[in-house]
Amino acid sequence: MRCPPVARRGVPIPTASTVSGSPPPSGAVRLEVDGLSKSFGPVHAVSELSFTVEPGSVTGFLGPNGAGKTTTLRMVLGLMNPDAGTATFDGTPYAALPTPLRTVGAVLETAFHPARSGRNHLRVYCRAAGLPVSRADEVLVQVGLADAGNRRAGGYSLGMRQRLALATALLGDPAVLVLDEPANGLDPEGIQWLRGFLRHLAHEQGRTVLVSSHLLSEVEQTVDRVVIVGAGRLVREGSMEQLRSGADGAGTVLVRGPEMGRLAAVLSAAGTNVSQDDGVLTVTGSTPAEIGHRAFAAGIELHELRPRTSGLEEIYFQLTSGQEQFAAPPAGTTVAQEAAR
Amino acid sequence: MIRLVRSEWTKLFTTRVWLGLLIGACLMVAGFSALIVGFAGAEQNGQPGLPAVGDPRFEHVAFAVSTNAIVLFLILGIIGMTQEYRHRTATPTFLTEPRRWRVVAAKLGGYALVAVPFAVLVLAVNVLVVTVYAGARGAAPSLSGENLRIVLTSGLVLVIYAVIGVGVGALLKNQVGAIVGALVYLFVVEGLVRSIPATSGAYKWMPGGAQEAMTATFQGPDLLEAWQGGLLLLGYGLLAAVLGTVLAVRRDVV
Repeated sequence: MRCPPVARRGVPIPTASTVSGSPPPSGAVRLEVDGLSKSFGPVHAVSELSFTVEPGSVTGFLGPNGAGKTTTLRMVLGLMNPDAGTATFDGTPYAALPTPLRTVGAVLETAFHPARSGRNHLRVYCRAAGLPVSRADEVLVQVGLADAGNRRAGGYSLGMRQRLALATALLGDPAVLVLDEPANGLDPEGIQWLRGFLRHLAHEQGRTVLVSSHLLSEVEQTVDRVVIVGAGRLVREGSMEQLRSGADGAGTVLVRGPEMGRLAAVLSAAGTNVSQDDGVLTVTGSTPAEIGHRAFAAGIELHELRPRTSGLEEIYFQLTSGQEQFAAPPAGTTVAQEAAR
Repeated sequence: MIRLVRSEWTKLFTTRVWLGLLIGACLMVAGFSALIVGFAGAEQNGQPGLPAVGDPRFEHVAFAVSTNAIVLFLILGIIGMTQEYRHRTATPTFLTEPRRWRVVAAKLGGYALVAVPFAVLVLAVNVLVVTVYAGARGAAPSLSGENLRIVLTSGLVLVIYAVIGVGVGALLKNQVGAIVGALVYLFVVEGLVRSIPATSGAYKWMPGGAQEAMTATFQGPDLLEAWQGGLLLLGYGLLAAVLGTVLAVRRDVV
């Protein structure tokens, strides 16, 4: 179960207008992607993709491998030239940002010179961005790598590499964070830490966070909004609640108890669709409230009464797998290109 | 731009590649300097070989020995550029400075500046070995006039080759390919062109010919004037730099 931040932290989710308490130095910045397209030869890696990422929330950028996520992020960050469309941070493309590292922090891949220490790796980019080299030590502490800073990055574990990449993104204390599969290689403890960290950056500091993943379950507990892509096209954009309500499980209720036969008869008599399997009653076309009321009125004991919400992963799968099948040959080529990187 | 150059220096001096290349260059030049002095005046298959110690022609060739280290300065520049692609640090580098021409310019300038003290050290090794050894053999050459000019232009050649290396690295991106290509070019292609009569006329227009024209040569082919050779070599350096910059700016970083 996703724990709503409101209950856990006891504070309302900050929005762009309410973050004035502790805003990042550079202020809230909105990322706007408009009609982005990119082809590699005959393969349409990204086609007319548009979405926005709002400050103060964590947005999940989801899609199967080869859906064009990495290509999109590389265009957003000015590393690839789009065939068409724009990606802007408060109206400015990445390449035109006066101080890019202070505005946007990005983790695209865990890329280090293996012989250089983690601390020196960070110092390289402090120098290049005109930041004080002391920032290197600060972000090392922030991501929990303070003790490993003097070791060669080549000797880091996968999880430590992810943390160092995240540290690089945090150097400029940016208003926007763009992270490509940041949970790769993290152990469960690391993933939990990352979740809390990203939510803190977005909800309490009002930053804009975009995090890509090919697994909904991986970011389900972290993100507030989702942008789902398949075969380079936008499949769904909206809040997690909207995604949940659109799940196939909506309207299906599971009931458990000692008298399910009698309840089935009562509900059938009321014209509801009922099926019984292994002591569990599956009711469609009704609500938990209605079923509970009828059971109460008939004096039937209930042990469990819940809407089926496990359809979230299913709807994600339906949304994306259909796209992939439709575009199997070109999508396969893109996967190969991404794998060859 | 200064911060980008400093960033390049941090990159260079936080791994040990520079140390290996510098020590290699010093050892190489020390060895060749000793060989040149050692074989001065010796006969080759009954033919007169190198001029004897004390002969100005010997002194010119002996003070141009530093240019043997061009291969290591070339590799220094190549590694400086291609490590970004090899270790994928091109991504954070270009994220930090999206105007990529500035990154390449900082590398070109940064490596040219770093190559100056490196070259001075290599020249010092050459001058030291030649002066001491030739002195022991009877006539220590003076570091003045034409001799001094050759020492200084040899240093300039080394610096230019570091710049060419950065440009070649930006062109080829593949570190191993660029280094192997550079070695093959320097040790095979130029040598063949220089020694085959039909093609030796073109040699003076090649980087090696320009370098020989700038410094000193022995039993060499037809060459340009020294200043022409200097301009030509600088031209090659600039060409590599411009081509490398244009490609680095236009290409997608994947």
